[in-house]
Amino acid sequence: MLKRTGKYLGSLRRLALALVVASLCVPLAHAQGSADLKDLEQQLNGLGDRIQRLQDLTEVEILQHSYGYFVDKAQWHYLADLFADDATLEIGGKGVFLGKARVFEYMHVGLGPIGPRDGLLIDHQQFQCLPTIEPDGVTAHIRCIAFVMSSGGWGHNYYEDTFVKVNGVWRFKTLHGPFNMYSGYKVGWLDNTILNTFPEKWPPWPDLPPTVIYLTYPNYYIEPYHYPNPVTGKPMPPPSPRAGGEAFGRALERISTTRAGET
Amino acid sequence: MTFPATAPRLALSLFLGLAVWTSGFAKDDAARIAALKARVEAIAAETTYVESVTKIQRLGRAFGYYTDKGYFGEAADLFTDEATFQWGVDGIYKGKPRIRELLTRHGGGSLTDGPGLPFGRLNLRMQLQPLVTVAADGNSAHARWREWGLLGEYKKSATWDDAIIEDDYVRQDGVWKIAARRYYLNFEAPYQGGWAALKPVAGAWPSAIARDFPPDAPAASLYQPFPSVFVPPYDFAGTLTAIQSRAPFTAPQRAADELGRLEALADAKQLQLARTHSVRAIENLQAMYGYYIDKGQWKRAATLFSHDGSYEFGQSGVYIGNAHIERALSLMGPRGLEAGQLNNYVMVQPIINIAADNRTAKARWRSDVQLARAGKGRWGGGIYENEYVNDNGTWKFTKLHYYVTFWGDYDAGWAAKPIPMDPQSTTILADKPPTVVYQSFPKLQIVPFHYDHPVTGKPMPGEHE
Repeated sequence: MLKRTGKYLGSLRRLALALVVASLCVPLAHAQGSADLKDLEQQLNGLGDRIQRLQDLTEVEILQHSYGYFVDKAQWHYLADLFADDATLEIGGKGVFLGKARVFEYMHVGLGPIGPRDGLLIDHQQFQCLPTIEPDGVTAHIRCIAFVMSSGGWGHNYYEDTFVKVNGVWRFKTLHGPFNMYSGYKVGWLDNTILNTFPEKWPPWPDLPPTVIYLTYPNYYIEPYHYPNPVTGKPMPPPSPRAGGEAFGRALERISTTRAGET
Repeated sequence: MTFPATAPRLALSLFLGLAVWTSGFAKDDAARIAALKARVEAIAAETTYVESVTKIQRLGRAFGYYTDKGYFGEAADLFTDEATFQWGVDGIYKGKPRIRELLTRHGGGSLTDGPGLPFGRLNLRMQLQPLVTVAADGNSAHARWREWGLLGEYKKSATWDDAIIEDDYVRQDGVWKIAARRYYLNFEAPYQGGWAALKPVAGAWPSAIARDFPPDAPAASLYQPFPSVFVPPYDFAGTLTAIQSRAPFTAPQRAADELGRLEALADAKQLQLARTHSVRAIENLQAMYGYYIDKGQWKRAATLFSHDGSYEFGQSGVYIGNAHIERALSLMGPRGLEAGQLNNYVMVQPIINIAADNRTAKARWRSDVQLARAGKGRWGGGIYENEYVNDNGTWKFTKLHYYVTFWGDYDAGWAAKPIPMDPQSTTILADKPPTVVYQSFPKLQIVPFHYDHPVTGKPMPGEHE
């Protein structure tokens, strides 16, 4: 009995030893699994950041494109609501307007009452938008074209805008829309081009003077790109005066432009 | 004496406890981890795919912003060292320096100095309507673009240009570049008279630039420009890939353990990714529809609809089903169009909203229209409010509704000579009357927005003073 018990206890001891060894191994496997899971979670979160950037690109494009649709039909409340409270707006040569309320005023006082007016087409089409999300995830830029088809004729202008994400929602932080070329319909841009606007051209008056003085077509002006060359990564070189890249004030005698609004 | 008896019991309970606690790691959890790893890899690959599409869109747009202001060297830098550029029927130019000179000459820039453009030179070549696919290996890609150009020299010329671009791209050291461009010029038309006044071109029609600056090789194919109707080849395989994203997927209830938490995290990321992928697929779908409509390819266009999809254009009434939609499209002209007919529907300014479950989507688009019929040119403009369905991973139109803003005579302009919308057809009858009765310009109305205000989150029924 004793012997059998001893034998029994001996096998129990071996079983215990095996189980203890196994018990020690299980946490080891668990540790390995935990490391895997931690690694997978890190990978998922890293991918999540990249996926969020892709979503952000679409969201800032939606803001810019909505801006165009709201201008079309003079929906100034909706338009102003796209802007952060402390946003700024600078279009053409009118100077800088500070804050969301003044964005509304620029549109409402400067361009007319709310809502479409029969016979007055002001389509502001948003083309070729190139958005960039900054690494901080809450700042974005966009370069875009406004191609205008209006009752008066044509317009081709650029935007270099910035956006800020507040409480998970993107808003315009700065809208900068330098004019490029405006022309009447009859002969197009052959020679019937329209001069840039200026601060006191029509009310409301700006809060700050224009940040840059430039001339529109037929003169040359380039609004700096917010991004480096996507292939070389090099920053934008300045335009060369010898190539006509600095045509400011040149050949005025050759210009017989019409002033905006007098087409 | 109790020790030897207790030890096995303790060891047994320790073992069983741990085995239960780590049940997944021992048996099925190993499989769950392997499955999760595979999913993470798939998410990584799909993220890279969508990023690549986005980067290629960026490349094309950056090109437009370089050439329009005389940054021809920077534009050429978007190409590989050995890249080729086929210009119209002129021929093929090889390598960056030649491409730079080609762009400079066509853009009117200085061959010795730059960047910049001389006084009075206009070279606005807008790069629109990208249709991008990336190959399965992730290192090559393809896109079709539309170029809409405003060209000219002050007091000398004002010209419209219209071209289709077919691009091949490669990824070198992680950077996407243009490897081969085929630039299919359709027309350069003087502003006076426009495209409708263009005469048929007989025989070869090399550009003046090609005479002074001969290409390195002849063009791979020859064609006649407008008023002939030429369809630039869709030079890419995997058309369907362009309009696909992830099929609708309902994630199962995940276990309450640590692994289940990560599985749920993967579900959320995968859905968010699928929705960004779907945005690109719908951009491609709308672009594809536009390219087919351009050339009178009614059948191809109609197959982009779901079987119960609907089509409504202005006051046309509603047509339902692929066959009926194909017939409705043929109201625009004969299949393949006739010489002298232009049917450009430019697809721009998308606002794409994918449903939270990635099964349906809605989008607002703008379309500008350049038409020619019987020697008369016409401008048009309007807004689409469309709906889409994710049909087992392939996006299709369930509703296409074009609201006409204006039609206008080319010579007089839309302001002086607006043209009313066509009434309902009496030959190909609609299934339902127009959903909204309205008049186009000089009348104006706000096309209802399918989406809530992007900042306030409120619906946009209209607004008042």
